[in-house]
Amino acid sequence: MPIIVNLDVMMAKRKMSLNELSEKVNLTLANLSILKTGKAKAVRFSTLEAICKALDCQPGDILEFVGKK
Amino acid sequence: MRTKTDVILKVMNVLAWLAFAGLVVKAGAIVISYSVSIGNPEGAKNLYMGLNFYPIRQFDFWHYTGTVILMIALLLLEAYTAFLVTRVLSTIKLTNPFTIEVSRTLEKISYIILLAWVAAMVFNAHATWLSKKIAGLQENLISGEFILLAGVVFVIAQVFKKGVEIQSENELTV
Repeated sequence: MPIIVNLDVMMAKRKMSLNELSEKVNLTLANLSILKTGKAKAVRFSTLEAICKALDCQPGDILEFVGKK
Repeated sequence: MRTKTDVILKVMNVLAWLAFAGLVVKAGAIVISYSVSIGNPEGAKNLYMGLNFYPIRQFDFWHYTGTVILMIALLLLEAYTAFLVTRVLSTIKLTNPFTIEVSRTLEKISYIILLAWVAAMVFNAHATWLSKKIAGLQENLISGEFILLAGVVFVIAQVFKKGVEIQSENELTV
């Protein structure tokens, strides 16, 4: 998929573990893992909002579009 | 929590198993009666619960064999359909009903029903031809309306396929 999820990068920048983020955004570890590994097919705005709030970032910091070259 | 649908599916599963057992027993009984009738033509008078192919047996042994083979094939195809239905009913889970396995089995069921329809049509054509050759032969024609059933099951299988896609997308939405 040309959309890349940079959740791990943002988590590293904020020095936040997956467990910590899971508690803050009220998502299961399994779902966060799906998002982190890029397996997710869709992200709810409410989830994105919660993640941005927890990591103090913008949606663009988490999602990136990489077109075919 | 057990829902009404759970109970209905369990009852349907039991009914499908009964249908499967009944059809296999019927096919087996016809095979045994046929084996007996090879040596003793009188045996063709009552193959299974009054099924009388004696006039055909008297007319020609190979036509008689063909008729019996077609009938057994039809019964076995119906039994296999019933078996596949039991598989669908035991696999399906109402929390996650759309699985690729169920979708594939449904598609298989539609093909088997189509095959059974073809067997029924061949059986009917043969029976009609025989009724013209043998005076007083009662025609035991099989209804060919299950071609419609095959179509309906095929459509349901296609809808299920789409359901599998939607469910997997839903599961991967965070």
